[in-house]
Amino acid sequence: MTPQKKVEIKKLPTGVSGLDEILGGGLPEFSFNIIAGAPGTGKTTLAHQFVFANATPERPALYFTVLGEPALKMLRYQQQYSFFDSSKLNRAIRFINLGQVLEERGLEGILEEITKQVEAASPGFVVVDSFRTVMRRAQNDDTSMGIQLFVQRLGLLLTSWEATTFLIGEYTDVELRDNPVFTVSDGLIWLYQIVEGNSIVRKLQIMKLRGQTSVPGLHMFRITDAGLQAFSRTLGLSGRPRKIPAKRRLSMGIPELDKMLGGGIPEGDSVLIAGPSGTGKSLLATQFIAAGTHLGEPGIVAVFQERPQEYAVRAGSLILDLGAALDAGQLQVIYLRPLDLSVDEAMHEILEGIEKIGAKRLVIDSLEGFEMALAPAFRSDFRESLYRMIFALTGIGVTVLSTLELEDSFTELAFTSYSISFLTDDIIRLRYVEIEGQLRKIIMVVKMRASDHAKFIREYEITAKGVVIRQRLTSYDRLISGTPRRVDRSSRKE
Amino acid sequence: MNRTSPSPPSWELAQRLLAYETASGNPSVTRMSAAVRVSEKLRRRLVTLAGVAGFCALLHRALALSKAQVPGLSKLSVRPDGSLEGLNELHDDDAAQAGAMLIAELIELLTTFIGEHLTLILIHDVWPDLAESGERTNL
Repeated sequence: MTPQKKVEIKKLPTGVSGLDEILGGGLPEFSFNIIAGAPGTGKTTLAHQFVFANATPERPALYFTVLGEPALKMLRYQQQYSFFDSSKLNRAIRFINLGQVLEERGLEGILEEITKQVEAASPGFVVVDSFRTVMRRAQNDDTSMGIQLFVQRLGLLLTSWEATTFLIGEYTDVELRDNPVFTVSDGLIWLYQIVEGNSIVRKLQIMKLRGQTSVPGLHMFRITDAGLQAFSRTLGLSGRPRKIPAKRRLSMGIPELDKMLGGGIPEGDSVLIAGPSGTGKSLLATQFIAAGTHLGEPGIVAVFQERPQEYAVRAGSLILDLGAALDAGQLQVIYLRPLDLSVDEAMHEILEGIEKIGAKRLVIDSLEGFEMALAPAFRSDFRESLYRMIFALTGIGVTVLSTLELEDSFTELAFTSYSISFLTDDIIRLRYVEIEGQLRKIIMVVKMRASDHAKFIREYEITAKGVVIRQRLTSYDRLISGTPRRVDRSSRKE
Repeated sequence: MNRTSPSPPSWELAQRLLAYETASGNPSVTRMSAAVRVSEKLRRRLVTLAGVAGFCALLHRALALSKAQVPGLSKLSVRPDGSLEGLNELHDDDAAQAGAMLIAELIELLTTFIGEHLTLILIHDVWPDLAESGERTNL
């Protein structure tokens, strides 16, 4: 006997950017799904996006409204979204109000009316909004058909008629237990809206999905003029194989620094440049990007504290003319809107940029700017989010250089304040030292994972040409304390 | 919203619907009974979309706005199922303008809520062979 082939379940696009990836490729055809969440979380908008993305005159959608948002108001508001295609109304999407049917004939009436409409239209998609009001009414009506029987019959009817279904409801977490609606459903999408400080954070979870593997956990989403936009925790990279980095070394654009790094930054590494304000972290990062564009390697710079134009002007003032690279599309400067970002949204924008120009180098300037740009709710997850981000990016072969501001202590040398050294393959530390009444700067390579590097400390200067590495300060020791001591090497030899 | 009359495009569309129903009915169809036919056809379509309660609310509002323009309409009322009551009590003099005003206000309300484009889609759904008006630009 030959092994039988499995039935192939077609995956339908949801029309929601990012959600198909979270669902594991799309929504299973003919599935019976629930969209649950508190008022204002975007349940109706999600259902609309789905039907507008899928319904056709041949496979229309029936959108049943029941004692929820009045249909005319729903149309009034939903048409504001860019996905709303009015040419589909009546031809591909029909809105049918069941309020009076529920009031007069209860669950039996609802089932009869839905059956009648489904048999007449043979829809590919059915939405009942809000199903919660149907259930609430049924709970208060002893004469009505039992809820479990109703849900089972409805599920059977719609699946038999090959309809992909959404039941929309304002449910709370506690209602999950022993609820026949959730038991019968194939898919359960839960939308959350959390207020934290002055920010609103929206997250969704695929609590259940029969027949395919979805990405577990809570995923950020945003509601924009285009409707819902979801951001997978895996940043859309879960299906991609990790790229095995080549042995290539990337120049920092400063030959002496490349030597200190054993020939440059290993491609696909995560590099951290840490140091106090004014030590040239952003400049080093810009030289790294400029070195790449000079060799024809596209790059992305994500800035949080200045706008792209200001960034390009500042680079230009240091004879690092990035204008040509910007014009040629080899360089993209992304300014990420401060204060209400999530890492996932930021990452989405960065990844779009990377894919668009085929970037090999990414600068994040700076990590503390990034953290401050996030909504307060996300700051507690910053390290975890950063880990996901860096792991995902280096996994696709992008070399990530981040800057981090550290306060200099004159009694000790801290390498990073975020305890993120485990996230970085390579660390370059900059600091001030006081020598003979002058504030001078030193640079050292603290760490390079699985790679040899220079151990000595070099002085450097910031010039109009960028960072220039000077000689070792061999006449001093205790340089990393910030207050070095002059050493008389000649007397030691004697 | 504070307004005293339906907009010219709503008024013009109402006139065309009434003319259509007058022409398609028997010779005894008056302007008022044409308005009832228009209202009834809209009721059937809108009840499916917005429910009986939703349509009744709209028609109540349209009637209230119309009464301000045509006092004779005060004899009309809306039944619970959304149909009109009290038609027989209207004077012939009032009937023609009253019917047009009521339909125009109903169209105006729809346009206010769901916009010109969706309103026209609904109207076209009920009167698919209603002649397009090339002059109409604002509804």
